[in-house]
Amino acid sequence: MNIRKKWGMAAAGALLASSLALAGCDQSNDGGKAADSEPAGSNQKSVTISYAIWDKNQQPAMEAIAKAFTGQHPNIEVKIDAIPWGEYWTKMSAAAPAGTLPDVFWMHGGQFIKYASGQFLAPITDKVQAGEIDLNNYASNLGSIYTMDGQNYGIPKDFDTIGLAYNKELFDQAGIAYPNDTWDYAKLAEVAGQLSQPDKGIYGFGAKMDTQAGYWNDMLANGGHILNADMTKSGYDEPASIEALKARYQMILDKASPTHQQMTDTDSVEMFKSGKLAMIFDGSWDNGNLASSDIIKGKYDWAPLPKGKAGRGNIINGLGNVMSAKGKHKEESWQFLKFLGSKEAAEITAQMGAAIPAFQGTQDAWVKSKPDLNLQVFIDQAADATPYPSGSKSYPVWFAKEGEIMSQAWGGAISIEEGAKKVAEMMNQAIADAK
Amino acid sequence: MNSKSRYAWAYLMIAPTLIGTLVFWSWPAVYSIYLGFLKSENFGLVSHWVGLANYERLFKDAEFWQNLRNTMFYVVLFVPATIVLSTLFAVLLNAKIRGRSIYRVIYFLPQVTMAAAAAMVWVIIFAQDYGLLNSVLGTHIAWISDKRFAMYALVMVGVWGSIGFNMLLILAGLQGIPRPLYEAAEIDGAAGFRKFRSITLPLLTPTLFFTSIVLVIGATQIFDSIYLIIGKTNVALPAVRSLVYAYYQNSFIYYDQNYGAAIVNILLLINLILTGIQFLLQKKWVVYD
Repeated sequence: MNIRKKWGMAAAGALLASSLALAGCDQSNDGGKAADSEPAGSNQKSVTISYAIWDKNQQPAMEAIAKAFTGQHPNIEVKIDAIPWGEYWTKMSAAAPAGTLPDVFWMHGGQFIKYASGQFLAPITDKVQAGEIDLNNYASNLGSIYTMDGQNYGIPKDFDTIGLAYNKELFDQAGIAYPNDTWDYAKLAEVAGQLSQPDKGIYGFGAKMDTQAGYWNDMLANGGHILNADMTKSGYDEPASIEALKARYQMILDKASPTHQQMTDTDSVEMFKSGKLAMIFDGSWDNGNLASSDIIKGKYDWAPLPKGKAGRGNIINGLGNVMSAKGKHKEESWQFLKFLGSKEAAEITAQMGAAIPAFQGTQDAWVKSKPDLNLQVFIDQAADATPYPSGSKSYPVWFAKEGEIMSQAWGGAISIEEGAKKVAEMMNQAIADAK
Repeated sequence: MNSKSRYAWAYLMIAPTLIGTLVFWSWPAVYSIYLGFLKSENFGLVSHWVGLANYERLFKDAEFWQNLRNTMFYVVLFVPATIVLSTLFAVLLNAKIRGRSIYRVIYFLPQVTMAAAAAMVWVIIFAQDYGLLNSVLGTHIAWISDKRFAMYALVMVGVWGSIGFNMLLILAGLQGIPRPLYEAAEIDGAAGFRKFRSITLPLLTPTLFFTSIVLVIGATQIFDSIYLIIGKTNVALPAVRSLVYAYYQNSFIYYDQNYGAAIVNILLLINLILTGIQFLLQKKWVVYD
């Protein structure tokens, strides 16, 4: 080997190294392609549009909606792609600049500003003004979430609140009364301790490191905040917030909850589903998931979250449906988007128990979709719930980093107080950077 | 045929590979160097030139230095272990033993196993409470969530996954050693380990050299096992996070492609230096006949 060849090989090797590192981004979706083989019936071209969602448990309901839609528009097929939440936004952030976003897709309040301000979403303002859709049809002012600078981009799909799920069998065995609306956090911790049998692998409560279905509710109930009212400062370092975080973590120390590591190995929802946990906080969206477990089917129910010294904390969030600005079949996509916002679609969502539909007056059907469960708690708690702290450009950044810092605290590497202060510092920095 | 059209034909023949390499390998590498000098917004559609600002931030970032140390620690453990074990298995499987093709297949299997599937099995093996490793050793170690042990767990998985392929390379090297050399040595009275040390090992050095170059470059890019086995909520993550994992986090989770690009550009530089050093050192130990 002469020296030129050697260095050539070395350089090629190193180039290979870095391009391998870059090869991670793939594009999953070019569902905008028309299946323009045969005109269906009339001279309308038959078209396939793509619809991306992140919750597999809601896929059957979304498919039922798509089927009903195709029944009315025989030339439009809808291809549903369920991408797990953990990968959804990674994929979307690669697809957005490449112009390959799905035609229609689920939007989260936390991500909306980024996509709308980047002009990746098709505005629907003219359709709203033309009266094709009425945003007043949706509960709790949800229509306003997907609005930026006076433009409308999304149609509310559903809303969700958090409840306390409990395993009736474990309560019965211990002879303890079920949770009810008089419970406060002290009671929760007390009963969780009584129900725990660590030697049998059974614990009273899943004191999980989690935000929306976790300590955010505790912080609010204790008088703390996630962000201040004008979203310019983190509330994690407020004493009331830290106190709430500590109280949750204390349940792990008291062996009333599995450890962070146990809950990393097996998610607390899965533990609840296998009858190993007496109580968890969980979102209304997850009821279908809990009900899918044969072990706890018919043995669990829902109660409102416990009260703290500042009342009941609860996070309300609403998902929306949006359409891509770069879709090849905008008119067909709009037809589908409009249908997704219709009462008919909301009723399918409700009856199949997929999620609490946003459309006014259809929530009862959701509550009745599982008559043996007290789903009414989710609707009742919506009234004084706190909106999910999204709606800022910095949210995706600090939200991603929050979990990394808090897992150090939950795993015992740093104290809860230190973790909370680090999160606050990181959030304030992210807010400053986004200006 | 004149020489010009002969060249044209040659280039036409290699065009598919060449274009593929340029578009999917070389261009991203060059583009990544460019990205390191920018600050992008809006998923990279709007960018400003910021010079060395990303690198200044990087060098002041304690986490970057920790990630660099983690990556190098992994390389130092993984590469020698893989070379030694691959050579050992290659020598053993080069001997005339019964069923050696079956053994070769067994050792090669990890190479064709899906990383995600293998990772799931490893997670079960490493589990603290009912894991296989702890019951064999009679310990109660949190292999993948204790920062003192997590790196060793990753090295185990890495070595397990790399032995098969490297063994195959070394096996090919072994079979390239001319038989008469051993026969001559036997006449001179050399046996067993002496033959290995004086004939096998020196003549294997070109293969070992190639293996170590590829292994070092591969090891500096450790990512999948951290992503799949350790996971993002693991308390041990800071103790094992590699540069490529940090690249992934910054580029795809925090949406800061420029900072991510700066990280992989440093990695590129490190690989150039490491490979250069290995080429300089080869004079000392690689035997070319």
